Amino acid sequence: MAIKTILVIEDDRFIGEMYVRSLKKKGYDVDWMVDGNDGLVAARNKSYDLLLLDIMLPEKRGSEIIDALRNEKHDLIPNTKVVILTNFEQDDESRMAMEHSADAYLIKAEITPRKLLAIIDHLSKTG
Amino acid sequence: MQIIAVLIVFIALIFVDLIDHNDITLVIVISALLFTTITINLVTFWLITDPLKQLSIALKHSAGEKQADNLPNPNAPNYQRSGLSALLKQIYKMGSSQSDDQTDNKTDDLSALSRVFDQSNAGVVICDTKGKILYANSSAPIRTERDGNRAIDALFYTELSFSDWVKQVKKKSVRAHRTWLHIANKPPSENDRRIFDIVASYQKGSPYPIVVLFLDKTADYAPEDDQLNFISFAAHELRGPITVIRGYLDTLIDEMGDTLNQEQHELFDRLLVSSNRLSGYINNILNTSRYDQRHLNINLSETTVETVWNMIKDDMNLRAKTQGRLLSAIIPEDLPTIAADNASLGEVFGNLIDNAIKYSHAGGAVELRASPNGPNVDITIADNGIGMPSNVVGNLFHKFYRSHRSRETVAGTGIGLYISKAIVESHGGSLSVKSAEGRGSTFTISMPTYESVREKLEKTGGNNSEIIKSTSSGWIKNHGSIRG
Repeated sequence: MAIKTILVIEDDRFIGEMYVRSLKKKGYDVDWMVDGNDGLVAARNKSYDLLLLDIMLPEKRGSEIIDALRNEKHDLIPNTKVVILTNFEQDDESRMAMEHSADAYLIKAEITPRKLLAIIDHLSKTG
Repeated sequence: MQIIAVLIVFIALIFVDLIDHNDITLVIVISALLFTTITINLVTFWLITDPLKQLSIALKHSAGEKQADNLPNPNAPNYQRSGLSALLKQIYKMGSSQSDDQTDNKTDDLSALSRVFDQSNAGVVICDTKGKILYANSSAPIRTERDGNRAIDALFYTELSFSDWVKQVKKKSVRAHRTWLHIANKPPSENDRRIFDIVASYQKGSPYPIVVLFLDKTADYAPEDDQLNFISFAAHELRGPITVIRGYLDTLIDEMGDTLNQEQHELFDRLLVSSNRLSGYINNILNTSRYDQRHLNINLSETTVETVWNMIKDDMNLRAKTQGRLLSAIIPEDLPTIAADNASLGEVFGNLIDNAIKYSHAGGAVELRASPNGPNVDITIADNGIGMPSNVVGNLFHKFYRSHRSRETVAGTGIGLYISKAIVESHGGSLSVKSAEGRGSTFTISMPTYESVREKLEKTGGNNSEIIKSTSSGWIKNHGSIRG
């Protein structure tokens, strides 16, 4: 599945702008939300090819967003890839639960925009 | 006996002619005397000696001695008449209550003890050899499982858990003791966390074979844990800015690469190397914090030294280049695969190469070389730098250790080698060093081949719990599923 539309949910202005700038430059159609509630609403209202999701967010945590969108009962985003991007490593249990619903779980400090683009490219090809 | 004695005396007197055997009066007197004596003796036996004998039998029986005689029945009419019945019943009653205490009625013992143990803030648990809890006082950390059984509620992140210890001593020991320090009942982030020192004792054959004492040391240990939590949060905070610095550096180099002159390229490389090193140090701090709190693990999978090296080689080559060192890697193609967490082992390589660069001279060579060694793959990282005297080598892997000389000349935190050793040991491997002052140092990482640990890993699904060495107390986390 070729990835074209991306929703970024990231509250850090600098980090959000950095990702959005690189993604747009590469030709992706990007929407950016800075809090958890708005992010969840956006993800429900429009079908994106990829969701880049932070965990520590105002209003609603990333883990709650993914749980609302994709759980045992329903999958509201069946055609969306999900990449968790966080600097806050969680305990194993909550992390494993998130990994179960996501396609990748990345540490932001280790992922430069160049690497992120390579990963998205990889997901596009394997999807 | 009495009759025979009297008859013998009587016949003897006749023989010596002291009495006339025809004297009928004397014979009658003696016979009367004999009859009276026998009657008195019989009455004495019936009223005193026999009851005493029966009481003695009853008392011995109550005391637990085996008795050949039939036991006196307190309901026999003669005992009831004589009043002995009540006395016998009392003796039997005493005996039976004593025997209940010793054997069947353990709960009486425990209920008495529990009143005493409940006064203590130390937890007390008594188990049988299957680990089933027979008694736990109110301070003991106990949880009830879904099947209704009670279990000790403590996270034994150590080389030997309590249940493993029970299995071990049951097989091998008559009497044994074991102490665990700093054992928590919950992970650090949860409420109502308690931290214990735990002492367990085993006595074979005892009705209460395993006694476990829990000393609540939360007040002593919690500040240390809070400090580690603070360090961990601080390190997370540092990751935000470093994400932006590294991200935009990459972006700028990509976008401006063609317009930069040679010197500007070098300046960018230095920025990039410095930010990468900073990021590595932050990872060291986070890993150390988690390792010391013993709630981290690693996920091991089949990989190669080449794969790990490829993840970090661009960064390492740049580090060596910007600091004027010659870095080379010699990794044979036919090297066996190893069981490792790529990102964690990459951090260890990075730490050792970073040290080799720091403690060598400009223009010096740093070499990473991998080679098979029996059931292991050895990876050596060697420099021909300043080296270390033997007194420094002994302390090298201690946390925050920095030699006097390195404190003066090279910046650092003293946790790089500590966490590297912990990570390698959490893989079931080992990290050692050989060094000669003025001639350089060689660090050797010895990693088990995948084949040598395959069975254990398949059993635990990649968890390191089965292969972790007893010298290591740590669990290191797994990292991003796609990284670098």
